[in-house]
Amino acid sequence: MGDWEWPLILFTVLGQIAIGIILMLWWLARNRNLNIQLFKRGVHVSGGLLLIALLASLFHLGHPEAAYRALAHLGSSWLSREILFFLLTFLAWIYLFRLSRQQTSSHTLGSGASIITTAETAAGGQPTSNLSLGLGITSLLGLLGIASSAMIYVLPRVPAWNNGGPVLFFLLTTGLLGALCTLVLGGNLLQTAQKKLLLQVSLGCTIFSLILSVIYGSMLSASMEGAASLNYHLSSPLFWVRALVSWLAPLLLLVIILKSPDLGKKNLILTVTLLVGLGEILGRALFYLSATGIQITALF
Amino acid sequence: MSKQLGFLHNSEKCVGCRGCEIACKNEYQIEATPQWRKVFQLHEDDFSLPTRMFFSMACNHCAHPECLRVCPVKAYTKREDGIVIHDPNRCIGCRLCTMACPYDRPQINPAKKKVEKCNLCYQRIDQGEKPACVTACIPGALELVEINDSLDQKTGILKTLPGLPSPKITSPSIRFIGPKQGKQIRRD
Ligand code: SF4
Ligand code: SF4
Repeated sequence: MGDWEWPLILFTVLGQIAIGIILMLWWLARNRNLNIQLFKRGVHVSGGLLLIALLASLFHLGHPEAAYRALAHLGSSWLSREILFFLLTFLAWIYLFRLSRQQTSSHTLGSGASIITTAETAAGGQPTSNLSLGLGITSLLGLLGIASSAMIYVLPRVPAWNNGGPVLFFLLTTGLLGALCTLVLGGNLLQTAQKKLLLQVSLGCTIFSLILSVIYGSMLSASMEGAASLNYHLSSPLFWVRALVSWLAPLLLLVIILKSPDLGKKNLILTVTLLVGLGEILGRALFYLSATGIQITALF
Repeated sequence: MSKQLGFLHNSEKCVGCRGCEIACKNEYQIEATPQWRKVFQLHEDDFSLPTRMFFSMACNHCAHPECLRVCPVKAYTKREDGIVIHDPNRCIGCRLCTMACPYDRPQINPAKKKVEKCNLCYQRIDQGEKPACVTACIPGALELVEINDSLDQKTGILKTLPGLPSPKITSPSIRFIGPKQGKQIRRD
């Protein structure tokens, strides 16, 4: 069984939130109605999270001072590829940051003062396409980074990981927490349709995550080591807390929010986000804790 | 790669004295925790008759080394003679290789915060000598051999033993001569 890998838990979850936010901003920008204040907020928060995530990852290494060497084996090591994509994501983020700095808040279009569109005036008068392209490239690089992170764990030695599970789970965390955090950051800056869309993405990811976990769990019993991972999950109180705070409670609350005419109070959305955040951290901790590798079972 | 060096372990000859383990520690002055080579005891009930038998294992210098595939800093290299060498100077202690090797042979040295493993005494081999563990094995249970088809075709040569991970994962360069049933060497 594995250990509490705090640096890896923080790196993966925070990195995924950061990229999830950028992804959602990109999604919102596609109709040219991304609020510039939200764009700025999103870029700043995601950058901060990305930086903390990258710093946290260093604490996993025995020799963080030599971390640059991790780029040396792009040919076959997913860890090298992960580092490359995350560094490229960070470079792309710097471009987004520059765009956000050029932006002044005077570009107000639309019906209310808080509704600002990206059309033509966005990004300091630069064409909207720049902003959208920047968000798109950052998202794409980030998603490649996340997929590479997940591929690190696809090891023939660890049957519970040697499948599509890690990639799907990591991407689901990105979508789920990305959408929820964008909702929290957006607040009143989001149009009703945008809010609804983000809530639907969150609900969809929660349902998919729940179904996937059930299928995944039933597949684990195929091998002795997989069954050990499954047993670890089912017998750990952490797993049941995770099930409650990141599946059951969000399912219920998201349906309530979606059904309410004003799409829920701010505090309710914040509560769901915090619950899911806690659940995803516990889920990631369990991912590492429950890892059971094929090993020598002879006595020693 | 022109050839593949590896180990042949004969459980029938091995008395479980752990001389190979100690010779390895002595040769490289390894600290307390890492065990580059280790002697294991086979489960008695894995055989039709009760038997108390041992096997000795270090890095298997696999034909498809997972350690080498996953290492981000290229700390692992595979020589022409098949030896998988780990260079601690390149290692950054990410521990990924310790997760990927089914035999748990790369081990973290807590003092150095880097991984270490058996390099098949390549410096001794380059001078025509045998590895320290092979030299130290008094009953001659551990041998350095070339792994090839002609070895695998010999009667009694096994690719694995009960209690070992499937050799399909990494194609380890170790072969075994398993215990003969009925004969026992007790070491209580
Ligand atoms: S036994 Fe483990 S460390 Fe040695 S070559 Fe094979 S995979 Fe690598
Ligand atoms: S611990 Fe060292 S040798 Fe092992 S994968 Fe990481 S860098 Fe490579």
